[in-house]
Amino acid sequence: MKIDSGDTAWVLASAALVMLMTPALGFFYGGLVRRKNVLSTIMHSFFILCLISVQWVLWGYSLAFGPDKGHIIGGLEWIGLNGVGFAPNPDYAPTIPHQAFMVFQMMFAVITPALISGAFAERQRFKAFVLFSLLWATFVYDPIAHWVWGAGGWLHQLGALDFAGGTVVHISSGVSALVAALVLGRRLGFGKQKVEPHDATMTVLGAALLWFGWFGFNAGSALGAGALATSAFVVTNTATAMAALTWMTVSWWHKKQPSVIGAAAGAVAGLVAITPASGFVNVMGAIVIGFGAGVVCYLAIQLRERIKVDDALDVWAVHGIGGTWGALATGLFATVAINSAAANGLFYGNPRQALVQLVAIGAAWSWSILGTFVILKVVNLFVPLRVHEDEEVIGLDLSQHGEPAYASIHAN
Amino acid sequence: MDPTTVMAVLCSVVVFAGWLLLPHSATSVEPVVVSEERQPVPVSA
Repeated sequence: MKIDSGDTAWVLASAALVMLMTPALGFFYGGLVRRKNVLSTIMHSFFILCLISVQWVLWGYSLAFGPDKGHIIGGLEWIGLNGVGFAPNPDYAPTIPHQAFMVFQMMFAVITPALISGAFAERQRFKAFVLFSLLWATFVYDPIAHWVWGAGGWLHQLGALDFAGGTVVHISSGVSALVAALVLGRRLGFGKQKVEPHDATMTVLGAALLWFGWFGFNAGSALGAGALATSAFVVTNTATAMAALTWMTVSWWHKKQPSVIGAAAGAVAGLVAITPASGFVNVMGAIVIGFGAGVVCYLAIQLRERIKVDDALDVWAVHGIGGTWGALATGLFATVAINSAAANGLFYGNPRQALVQLVAIGAAWSWSILGTFVILKVVNLFVPLRVHEDEEVIGLDLSQHGEPAYASIHAN
Repeated sequence: MDPTTVMAVLCSVVVFAGWLLLPHSATSVEPVVVSEERQPVPVSA
């Protein structure tokens, strides 16, 4: 197999783009919390970038993509990147060095647990967060990644389509976020005092950087610099813009004013929803997917507020529901005219694909709920999940890290 | 037109046309009294 320099350059650049998404997520989340918790929120993303980068090369990549064991998990043969060198691996990417594929996938593994951190923002003990993230990446993310993307994984063999991680990244993190919010409980004063974003400009900047990095996430998942990457790039931008427009319209109708934070959240919802479909749908499909994301994710937030679950930064509504919609929509709008190696969806004459997508969605939801619940209970045996009430009142920046985000203003 | 294109056109019409019909209410905001200002910091070249 011959290494293609263009493909390699694009995948490495895409890995760098996806790497930027994790600190961008920190800024997106950081703007949404109160100023006493902004540093701790940004730290969640920054720390996970470091933690999972090491976990991935030590054992994570081997569990997710290593030689198949019973269609469930990768073996430990590639632990410490043993055997993962510069020759291409034909099972995954035949035109780039195996390590280029590995490092591209690393960035996906990094951002996924970082997404969950929005659910327990402003109240989780840092040490508990560290233990949870390491265990979650190992026992929830790595197996699901193997099921869907690993050579021999059971959902891969079933024919489930997930181009860039709607099931692997967004359903797993979004559903786990809901479980985490329920297990940790509500923040002090939740529902009694208004909790407003401390810096909406930071949130919009974070969303814009996420949008930028997402081109690497989706177009990079073509694993080559060609027509498929171009198509993924175009539909990603289209669905994102459509979702932002739709969310803004819905919120305008509902709240009588077009929300700026709503537009940013809508864009993220669109990015999430197009992720699994980005290598399989055309631009018309992307418009429908973006529209659907804007509507269903907005409605999910209304539901979450009504049932009074304190998923602080709406990870479940945007990533869990957005990812579920995107995975299902892939089974509706996929067409072999875009990707001849895939399959048609329901609207192109293949209803079976919609059923396969439902199986994949159900599997990801089930494993994420079970795994996250058990991991949180295990961590709680050794380290309390929440900070003390007085630590929560003064904020996690000071109580957990000993640093204020803004020099002269500590309160709230 | 195939079903996907029809749906895409309908979605776009809903969003674009919707803006013409949407009500808009300006929020009245009371002036905020700033209680804590940063102190000027001397800067040397």
